[in-house]
Amino acid sequence: MTGGSRGLDLVAVVLVVLATVGIGTYGLRLARTTSDFLVASRSVTPLWNASAIGGEYLSAASFLGVAGLVLAYGADALWYPVGFVAGYLVLLLLVAAPLRRSGAYTVPDFAELRLGSRSVRRLASLLVVGIGWLYLVPQLQGAGLALRATTGAPVWAGAVVVAVVVTVNVAGGGMRSATFVQAFQYWLKLTAITVPAVVLLVAWHGDGRPDLAAAAPPVFPDRTTVQLDETVRVLVEQPVDVVLDGRATVLDRGPHRLERGSTAVFPAGARVPHVEGLAATSGDAWARPLSGAGGAEHPLYATYALVLATFLGTMGLPHVLVRFYANPDGAAARRTTLGVLALLGAFYLVPTVYGALGRLYAPEVLVTGRTDAVVLALPTAVLGGGPLSAALEALLVAGAFAAFLSTSSGLLVSTAGVLVQDVLGGSVADFRRATLLAVAVPLGLALPAVDLPVAQTVGLAFAVAASTFCPLLVLGIWWRGLTAAGAAAGLVVGGTASTCATVVTLVGAEGDGWTAALLAQPAAWTVPLAFAVMVGASVATRSRVPADVGRTMLRLHAPEPLVLSPPG
Amino acid sequence: MSTTDTRSSTSAGGGETFAQVQASDEFQGLKRTLRRFVFPATVLFLAWYLLYVLLTAYARGFMADKVVGEVNVAYVFGLLQFVSTFAIAYVYSQYADRHFDPTADAIRHRLEGTVTTTPHTPTTTTTTTAPPTIDLTSKTETRA
Repeated sequence: MTGGSRGLDLVAVVLVVLATVGIGTYGLRLARTTSDFLVASRSVTPLWNASAIGGEYLSAASFLGVAGLVLAYGADALWYPVGFVAGYLVLLLLVAAPLRRSGAYTVPDFAELRLGSRSVRRLASLLVVGIGWLYLVPQLQGAGLALRATTGAPVWAGAVVVAVVVTVNVAGGGMRSATFVQAFQYWLKLTAITVPAVVLLVAWHGDGRPDLAAAAPPVFPDRTTVQLDETVRVLVEQPVDVVLDGRATVLDRGPHRLERGSTAVFPAGARVPHVEGLAATSGDAWARPLSGAGGAEHPLYATYALVLATFLGTMGLPHVLVRFYANPDGAAARRTTLGVLALLGAFYLVPTVYGALGRLYAPEVLVTGRTDAVVLALPTAVLGGGPLSAALEALLVAGAFAAFLSTSSGLLVSTAGVLVQDVLGGSVADFRRATLLAVAVPLGLALPAVDLPVAQTVGLAFAVAASTFCPLLVLGIWWRGLTAAGAAAGLVVGGTASTCATVVTLVGAEGDGWTAALLAQPAAWTVPLAFAVMVGASVATRSRVPADVGRTMLRLHAPEPLVLSPPG
Repeated sequence: MSTTDTRSSTSAGGGETFAQVQASDEFQGLKRTLRRFVFPATVLFLAWYLLYVLLTAYARGFMADKVVGEVNVAYVFGLLQFVSTFAIAYVYSQYADRHFDPTADAIRHRLEGTVTTTPHTPTTTTTTTAPPTIDLTSKTETRA
């Protein structure tokens, strides 16, 4: 779409890939045993580890998705980044230290240790793999969309590039290399998103600071060409003169179908037709929280559900917990968390800038509904081409690919780790096979395009994690009465409810009104449901509380030096 | 799998000592201190976010007021959520450094005395290797 800088964008992608593989290979020399592969030795300093956690955590959803949601849904979308960060606080307060002391690397390990049940362990493994896949799909999709938006390559190309690079890297180096790679990726991402934002803000200033929340819904700032890579249905609110595939025509008020492969040229000042399902919003409503901007259903409920999903879901994400084992002790784990909160907070200040400027300068993403593309589209839209915008776009592409690669590696390490422990044998060779399996499925799912913005898909992964692992971890750590049967019942009910809601939303069959709100943001009902079932079923089977619960609890809560031993 | 197995066998040998520690007033006190902080902190912090969301529902005009240039009250509050998250984590961290670690150290020293009289090696090994690691990181912390 942004023609002039294709070569530079490709160079940026290649450089990031080379750097990732290069640092990964450097770390390879250090990876020897299975335990090295799964958890790096505990010699990582807090700042290094915090950078690595930040690097791994900032995914396509953070780098591209948040800006897109801010553009489409306004102030309410700010809860995504706030929740992404605050989830670490809940993790720190309730889960991090006891889990570290337990010596369980993963939630399945924890389930078996605490409840002594192989079936709960297998259930947890299944959920880890499911959540890992659900989180990997939008990363690969984001890669496909980003590469297409900047270089015109087909969607599968970007997804395949990311899948291949992370597979080679993870299968070759494991987490030790991942720690180096991830720390590097954090600083690359922060630079890549901040530098262009500053330049764009300066340009906006020079442009006479046009009102970011103007009264009217978005209009095209200039004569704008929109390439339709997919067939879309748009809603036109004011008749608009448009050149469709070279023929001048008028789109009347009402719904219109724009065919895949066609090109529409809109005149400057015309109201932007919005893709079906996204309502045109006045600037005033856009800037106000809980206004239902973008046509969001029941914004107060949706916000609460999002807050619950992100706050409580972070602790259950496969790639998050395992990082805390790289800390030598509890004090270092706390320092690491503080570092993570600071680093993530600093990063998340920036995507909002892209969302706000995008509404003004690149509203054409509202036509296609691919609001994730706004970050990459802005340099050209604001600066109008030329070497500066080409350089900034290349920098953003580099940052976006860093995001896809780092999060995918982290997810892949964890998902493959669970697969190798619970499905295959446990040797280094099996870990490599498990890695292939762990990446093949989400790649297969990412190729047929799903219409949901990446941050929303990621939000659903959080909801599933919050509805399953949050009750398991919180009750398992803080309540002696949890039984294997209770945990299994809670995991099954919470997992089924949240997964069904996710699948219905992903295929776009969620309907409207309350049904849509409850299915698109399920956490507000699935989390309490899972907690209730887990507690209720445990109380009903209280004669089966594990006999050694006292010792397990001591191990979880005793001062660390008593139970600290090197990982086996 | 292998990881959990190794570890349960490690702790099995020290069962009696652990049971004594668990029964001790000091350990029970430590658990109480921890719970008394962790649960109210979690509840308060969740309440703070949920209340904030609710307030925005009833103070819409106020939320749309512009503070500086294009930045409205809602956005400033949004930023403050990051700050409050960090502040709570910082307070917890300080509290844990001041209240948990010294008690934990005291219990450890007491246990070290106990352990030398029992013929149990794994726990002794880990107890003696742990302190240098802690010293090392506390130096790193002051630099960071």
